[in-house]
Amino acid sequence: MKVAFVTPRYGLEVMGGAESAARQLAEHLVADCGWEVEVYSTCALDHLTWDNILPSGASVLNGVTVHRFASSSGRVPEFYELDGRLRAAPSEASLEESRRWLELNGPVTPGLVDAVAHSDAQAIAFYPYLYYPTVMGMEVVTAPRVLHPAAHDEPALYLEVFDATFAGADAICYHTAAERRLVQRRHKIAQIPQIVLGLGVAPVVEGGRAGAEVLGLGDRPYVVSVGRVDEHKGSSMLASFFRTYKQRHPGPLALALVGPIAASIPEHEDIVLTGIVSEADKCDIVRDATVSISPSALESFSLVVLEAWEQSVPVMVNATCDPTREHCERSGGGLWFGSYRQFEAELERLCDDAPLRSLLGSRGRAYVERFYQWPRLIDRYARFLTDVRARYDATRP
Amino acid sequence: MLSDGASPQDHPSVDEDEAARRYLEVVRREIDDEVRRRRASGDLPPDVERQLDQQFLQHSPLGGRSAALRDMLRLVDASVFIDPVVPVESRRPGGTTVKRGLRSLSLWYLRYVTHQVSEFATAVSRALHVLDVQVTDLRRKVDALAVPPSLAFEVAWAHNPGAWWVRVVTGELAGHPGRVLHAACGDGWLVGALAQRGVDAYGVDPRDQVASPELDGLDLRAEDLVGHVGALASGSLRAVVLSGVVEGSAPAERLRLLEGVAGCLAPEGVLFVHSLTPASWLDEDAPDEADLVAARPYRPRTWLGVLGDLGLAATVAEGPGGRDYLVTGRRAADVDHATR
Repeated sequence: MKVAFVTPRYGLEVMGGAESAARQLAEHLVADCGWEVEVYSTCALDHLTWDNILPSGASVLNGVTVHRFASSSGRVPEFYELDGRLRAAPSEASLEESRRWLELNGPVTPGLVDAVAHSDAQAIAFYPYLYYPTVMGMEVVTAPRVLHPAAHDEPALYLEVFDATFAGADAICYHTAAERRLVQRRHKIAQIPQIVLGLGVAPVVEGGRAGAEVLGLGDRPYVVSVGRVDEHKGSSMLASFFRTYKQRHPGPLALALVGPIAASIPEHEDIVLTGIVSEADKCDIVRDATVSISPSALESFSLVVLEAWEQSVPVMVNATCDPTREHCERSGGGLWFGSYRQFEAELERLCDDAPLRSLLGSRGRAYVERFYQWPRLIDRYARFLTDVRARYDATRP
Repeated sequence: MLSDGASPQDHPSVDEDEAARRYLEVVRREIDDEVRRRRASGDLPPDVERQLDQQFLQHSPLGGRSAALRDMLRLVDASVFIDPVVPVESRRPGGTTVKRGLRSLSLWYLRYVTHQVSEFATAVSRALHVLDVQVTDLRRKVDALAVPPSLAFEVAWAHNPGAWWVRVVTGELAGHPGRVLHAACGDGWLVGALAQRGVDAYGVDPRDQVASPELDGLDLRAEDLVGHVGALASGSLRAVVLSGVVEGSAPAERLRLLEGVAGCLAPEGVLFVHSLTPASWLDEDAPDEADLVAARPYRPRTWLGVLGDLGLAATVAEGPGGRDYLVTGRRAADVDHATR
């Protein structure tokens, strides 16, 4: 079987959740199922500028053929003016306004859309719903369209321009049941064949060092938050919460923010910003953390939560983020906070209560082992795609 | 300092998993209690708490599950006072002096305006608090009156691939194109049987059922039925099969489900409703749900009128021994969904 993925960014350098997920699925289909997989993407690394950084043309990455196309325009200042206006009442925006929003959001890539239209893949996966390549590509392809929305409860979800994108999918692949509930509250698409899949957790690659040593913290205990350090991901909020916590709870506890830095976090003696670290360093840091915190309200899956559980580390998540909260509720592997007060009480309890940490960590690990192992996941996904193609063939003359 | 609370070993009589779940519920309650206690103690300056919570809410979806009116009101309360005394710090030489002068000159005016805005905000805040009290009171009363949610159920003699009515359903649907929904699907026993006959079927069940490994390839979903039907596109299904659903659902919920199902049937689409009879619902071997819900099955003839009101031409076939029956409701070929 030959499958194509359409995603606005692709590559080892790309840290975005949806784009990383697309790469993992593509590579596992090649490695575990022996399928032929190609990817249609842009030359961009930055989703805010869509600057053409990588060379256009075809290349091969881990067995996957990648076709890159330069974007003719990325985000311009006008985007932020329109976005600010529409996000107040997105469902009231006209179709023309929301189409304009889509173009300004970028990456505008007519070459990519044209190439996808001529793809000979037997199924084409679009990942995520939010961008021009997905919306325009789904209109032109002749193979069955599998939409991976990777949707958050964000204003864009309510823009009319995406109605046809969701309704036009031949199949939908969700990260979590919470994501499905969210999408189905907005779009009447429950009849479309679908699967709640999620992502697998890669085996731990330990570097063999103590996490505090990697962070330069000596023997101090620490909590960790892994992922892009970004205002929208809740990193600034977490830093503020932690500073206040430390004012009220003096002691050695530190916070490590691990990931590329896209927000200005004021310097603080108890907060360490690592920037991008190796996989081995990340594993060492997470393994020895007291707690792993996911402060983001806008996640459709959150692999970092599962990666913490894989190492039996308890987690704290944002209570308004349904997918991460669903992970915690189903697994019993973490707590969720909806205010500073809750954050403080939970962190204090977890720091003081080793048996509770151990219980949460072990339940989280059991959850990951049961539901999020690659061999089983990719097998389910491959069967799903095969069924999608068979249904497509059966329903067309 | 929070108490250590209960431990998992406090529940030795139940299995380990259940004990752990109960223990975690206790932990969450203890944390909530501690949050309330500290908030009441006022140990954190209100403006600091407000700033932190506003930061939290800045990127939170408004529809998040933890969004409580009372929490929102705390932020409103903390923001009702509009301060007319503008900060005067400046990085430019002399800037502070200039700003202080401007502030002195305009303070009488700003005070006048901000006083009125603060008065307005205070009045709105009070109104919202009254609303919160009334909504809370109403919710308490509604909760006390609430009908238990309908429960999907299965009885071995009626819900299996060899049952008499299953042959009728599969015989009618086999060989026809179009998507078919089975609710409540259980472990997928009927979806599997339909799929084997080439029917494009999927299943929904409000119970968090676990599909058996050999059925894992089927499209089975754990979802609320009424919610699922509400998310279906108009005219998108060839057929809907309801079994183990309608007997125990409350009248209003039953009607809402049937209205939704009727709306999602394509022209010439078919609704199959399998139901136990009222007499069977009272039998000794009836499901436990018969005692747990405030509902009972319709008599077979009632369906003719119910489905007729929904624009479906209905027929009823009774099972052997009068213990169950199958209703078939057919949508006309020329139905206009746009007018529904």
